[in-house]
Amino acid sequence: MPDNTKNGMQCNEFDLLLSDALDGVLKGAALDRFQAHAGSCNACGLLLAEAEAGRNWLKSLTEVEPPASLVSSILASTTGVDTQRLRAAMPVRQPRVSWWEHVQASFLEPFWAMVRQPRFAMSFGMAFFALSVGLTVAGVKPADIRQISLRPSAIRHTYYNTQARVVRYYDNIRLVYDLQAAVRGIRRNLTPAEPGPSKPKEHKNDTTQQPEQKQERNYTQSGEQFILASAPRGPSFSTCDLPVVSVTTYRRFV
Amino acid sequence: MEDVQVVAMLVRRCIAGDATAWEEIVQTYNRRIYNICYRFAGSSDDAQDLTQEVFIKMYRTLPSYDPTKGAFITWVTTITRNLLVDHFRKTKQDRMTDSMDTAASEHEDAQPLSEQIPDHSPAPDANVRSREVKETVHLALGKLSPELREALILRDLQDLDYREIALVLKVPEGTVKSRINRGRAELARLLQRTYRQVM
Repeated sequence: MPDNTKNGMQCNEFDLLLSDALDGVLKGAALDRFQAHAGSCNACGLLLAEAEAGRNWLKSLTEVEPPASLVSSILASTTGVDTQRLRAAMPVRQPRVSWWEHVQASFLEPFWAMVRQPRFAMSFGMAFFALSVGLTVAGVKPADIRQISLRPSAIRHTYYNTQARVVRYYDNIRLVYDLQAAVRGIRRNLTPAEPGPSKPKEHKNDTTQQPEQKQERNYTQSGEQFILASAPRGPSFSTCDLPVVSVTTYRRFV
Repeated sequence: MEDVQVVAMLVRRCIAGDATAWEEIVQTYNRRIYNICYRFAGSSDDAQDLTQEVFIKMYRTLPSYDPTKGAFITWVTTITRNLLVDHFRKTKQDRMTDSMDTAASEHEDAQPLSEQIPDHSPAPDANVRSREVKETVHLALGKLSPELREALILRDLQDLDYREIALVLKVPEGTVKSRINRGRAELARLLQRTYRQVM
């Protein structure tokens, strides 16, 4: 706006008085000077006309009616509950509260409110991060999880496979192997020596050899003659020099 | 306007946890806040969301209201205005004042605003015409810059005095008056092409 002085009033002063003039609070000599300046200054006169027209246009705008649900939405979003007056205004009957809603209101919501606290959220976040890192290191992929079969037989199969894998892994550890070997050695030293290998059993149908010893022994037992089982037949026990046989037993260490 | 003592008591009851007091505040001020939001944002849906946000903010910051610093309506309007400014910045609406001859789009062959607004002068029904005039003025108001628009809404639609507007907008009263004058003149220029009988 040009800063011209006309009729004792500058355009800046006119601009400041314009609102008061339109509101009707400008009176007396100030109003006369204002009107005189508006008449003589084209820019200020145009501004006065436009401002008055704009004001009249705005006066044509009436208040709009807010939506009927606005108050209930505000109350629900602020206090979280509807008030008694709103409940009374509602014609529909309140639905019955199920046991699950009771559980939710009594236990789940307080628990959830506690969980939503930042410190718990951080803890859960860290736990989830650690779990995801662990699964990644272990080689578990989401695609593997998708292929898991939940049939009982498949679960049993997986269980036994996993168990066998764990046992194999456990047995193949060097420390475990050494410990098991040491324990076996100690146990072997504490127990008496095992008897030698038994005489291989002869075939019953072997007709090429002598009759069975059992039958022979039975026959001999019927007599009065005493026979040592390990002594060869022949001269008497006192007069015969028995050969000294040294026997070395090789114990088989498993 | 408002009885300061009654409002102060209402606020104290509300802070003490009286849900009925809060409901009374909502019932009293929702229409006013909704209208400010509607005139500023331009659409009913946005106005509804913004009104709800204003009350949520009010509900949270109600203990910070100090009756000695100003009227409750000024405090409420300040909250509303701040949220509207935030909303304007978020939506990145470039609402610098458009002339009626300025093309609304970037295309050179696009129609100017004066041609986009239909000329409804031959409409026979007065009610229909009145509604259309209001729509046109509302549309033109939305074309003003936010600074001019908020000053006009608070002064000409909400009837706040200059001192209250200066408190809400945090500018001197002289600036408020200047913005109101410029806003009214700009609005009249925007509507001049459509309605020849403005002057």
